[in-house]
Amino acid sequence: MRIQDFNTKEENTWCPGCSNFGLLQTAKNALVELVNEKKIKTKNIAIASGIGCHAKIFDYINVNGFYGLHGRVLPLCLGMKVSNPELTVIGFGGDGDTYAEGVSHFIHNCRYNADFTMLVHNNQVFALTTGQATPTSEKGFVGASTPLGVKEPPLNPITLALVSGATFVARGYALDFQHLKGLIKKAILHKGFAFIDILQPCITFHNLAPYFKKHIYKLDKNHNSGDLQKALLKAKEWNYSLEDKAKIPIGIFYKTKRTTFENQWSQFKKPWHTLKRKISWEKIIKEFK
Amino acid sequence: MAMEKVILIGGKAGQGTAVTSYFIGKVFCELGYYVFNYRDYPSLIRGGHNFNVLRISDKPVYSHKDKYDIIVALDQKTIDLHQKNLNKNGFILGDDDLKSKKLVSVDVDLTLKKLKAPRIIENDIFIGWLFKYFGIDKKLLLREAEKKFKTKKINLIKKAIEKGYTLGKIKEKLKRIGKSKYFISGNQAVGVGALSSGIDIYIAYPMTPATAVLHFLAKKQLDNNILVLQLENEIGVANAALGASFGGAKTMVGTSGGGFALMTEALSLSGISELPLVVYLAQRTAPATGVPTYTGQGDLKFVVNAGHGEFPRIVVAPGDPKEAIMRTKEAFYLSTKYHLLSIIISDKHLGESDYAFDKLERSSVSNERFILKKPSKDYKSYKITKDGVSPRAVPGQGPVVRATSYEHNEYGNTIEDAYWTVKMTDKRFKKLKYLKDEIKKLNPTILYGKGKNLIIGWGSTKGAIIDALPQLKDFRFLQISYISPFPKEIVKREIEKSKKVILVENNVTGLLGDIIAEQTGYIIKNKVLKYDARPFVSEFIVNKIKRKP
Repeated sequence: MRIQDFNTKEENTWCPGCSNFGLLQTAKNALVELVNEKKIKTKNIAIASGIGCHAKIFDYINVNGFYGLHGRVLPLCLGMKVSNPELTVIGFGGDGDTYAEGVSHFIHNCRYNADFTMLVHNNQVFALTTGQATPTSEKGFVGASTPLGVKEPPLNPITLALVSGATFVARGYALDFQHLKGLIKKAILHKGFAFIDILQPCITFHNLAPYFKKHIYKLDKNHNSGDLQKALLKAKEWNYSLEDKAKIPIGIFYKTKRTTFENQWSQFKKPWHTLKRKISWEKIIKEFK
Repeated sequence: MAMEKVILIGGKAGQGTAVTSYFIGKVFCELGYYVFNYRDYPSLIRGGHNFNVLRISDKPVYSHKDKYDIIVALDQKTIDLHQKNLNKNGFILGDDDLKSKKLVSVDVDLTLKKLKAPRIIENDIFIGWLFKYFGIDKKLLLREAEKKFKTKKINLIKKAIEKGYTLGKIKEKLKRIGKSKYFISGNQAVGVGALSSGIDIYIAYPMTPATAVLHFLAKKQLDNNILVLQLENEIGVANAALGASFGGAKTMVGTSGGGFALMTEALSLSGISELPLVVYLAQRTAPATGVPTYTGQGDLKFVVNAGHGEFPRIVVAPGDPKEAIMRTKEAFYLSTKYHLLSIIISDKHLGESDYAFDKLERSSVSNERFILKKPSKDYKSYKITKDGVSPRAVPGQGPVVRATSYEHNEYGNTIEDAYWTVKMTDKRFKKLKYLKDEIKKLNPTILYGKGKNLIIGWGSTKGAIIDALPQLKDFRFLQISYISPFPKEIVKREIEKSKKVILVENNVTGLLGDIIAEQTGYIIKNKVLKYDARPFVSEFIVNKIKRKP
């Protein structure tokens, strides 16, 4: 398996220099390595995307996929997973997509713990709609819809995921390919709901790359990712505002084991479409007589 | 002389009126009688006023009445509210502390004390009393009680029934009159239809009056090897259902108007992604929260148009539970074969009333999954074909399978050019022709009775209209079951053949009338409409129609 095997013929329409290019390449690399390591099968990979710049990724990876609606990546992933537990389901969402329009699905999917991965391209701005504030835009952000600046503090998705019961919570940086690739591979192999908030600077509407370069640091072995309280403390280290003294940890905040959504039921656990049903009409209507 | 009894059982929520009424109905079904059981309850769990109306007859009946032969009163309010509708020779059965000139009383307190039974057992005393009155065999009654009440209290229940039986006096000698009947509600029928269609996954968020389908299928999921999920909201429900459909599962969702409103973006998605999806909509009185535990037919035009953009869909409106079983299977078949959205539209009255039938049938349409066994490597998810239906593969089979909310090319990749936009739109609409041919074979309309004049209706009004027909001179009834695609040739022909045409609908403006006008050019001015959140009874229809010019 080579990375070219995941290429499509579609013209890439991200802005030249967009950090999504790196994210795309990194995701493909992670998939190639997992396939070559025989940990996943190409034919079972199924992606879903929302709507926004991030979602164009659907057209650029040649795997099974569902290009869904804005905010609805997570229900799609859940549905795909329950229809066929053999699938390796990976959702791609945006920050507006996941933390604004679809935030209820985000909270509940953290809780459900179905075995799939959610990668959020967090550029802290609505980009495809030309630059409005999202829930993770910093206080004071000036956009076309907020010329007076955003008045509210941002939402911290890492904290939200932790308190909502996610079993794998990480933050990555789209421009640190090697580190991100490692995170994506671990997330895909995690048995349960794996979430990575990927800082993905938008060079056109909200270029935070210079800020991130100064403030990002990697979580190392000193961080105990099995401890929820420690994870919460780490999550609170950065509140998505652009303060001068901020330290932004990237890496795995928290990882734990919990029975997956699909393992909780005793019904058919294979792809439902392979089930040949024998329907007993008499049995179905018996109780009404 | 035909036998007919109408019994109202009323009390506070939590007093067991529904269970009691259902049980009495079930015993009469066992004896071969036809029964209709109407439930009327407000949106609360304890207190208030609930009542059921049971109509029992030796002839088929499909609706209730608002004049009663017997009232079983579990509280004074039942008497105060309904006594005025008691028939001339009617009586009220109740505890001796209730007040009414028509009261036939039982000393409930003393009887319960002797039985050392809680208040809720009072209903069983009345049941025993009533069946003695009807002269029905006690053994049969007790056997039915054992079948129905599978609780630890069954011995106490049986004792109470026996006690009631001794307290009563034989007035009539009702006997078994034929083979026992099936007793089933519209919601149960939709569940039965789904099971008979080979459903894999049912997803819902609770909402009256569709919740019973969720409960029914959830209870049966292990026995039938299906998956039933309750998710965070209807948006999640509908999108997850499409994800599951993409993965190859036969999937259905169920809701009422408010939840359906939330699902509409996903309905539009099913339109462009061409993924099969069956949606059950049980209407209640709207707009908004409306009158949540009551009925109405106000969502018809919403359902026909729900979802932004233009895309073909199936909308089918069964008129009774027997038909609901058939139509649900048809909805699955058409949706699965043509990769379309199928909406089954019902309402509280059909969904939660129990009907009796000699037999139940399932549609003979195929349960096939219509998924390729071995899709080829050059598979294209949106291949242009003659009938607009691209052969279906699902993820995991081998080739890359795509579904998308964007306009797309044959591979499912995003396009924005005029050529593919037209090409794909045409592809989706090509299915309509084939769909119309299919529907012709499925009796999209049903004609009842004979006469120069025509009543047109849809959905749950069917029962009251059929029951009204014998009292209306020279009227026949056209029930329209398929709303989309609309069987316009048949409807047009029937209208043209008729002298008078009267529309009967449980809504304010006559929504089917609008659809008929749009599809046939005929505007029906003569309308019998009702929008008080209550269903029709046949007398109401007869009186209104007799007064029409």
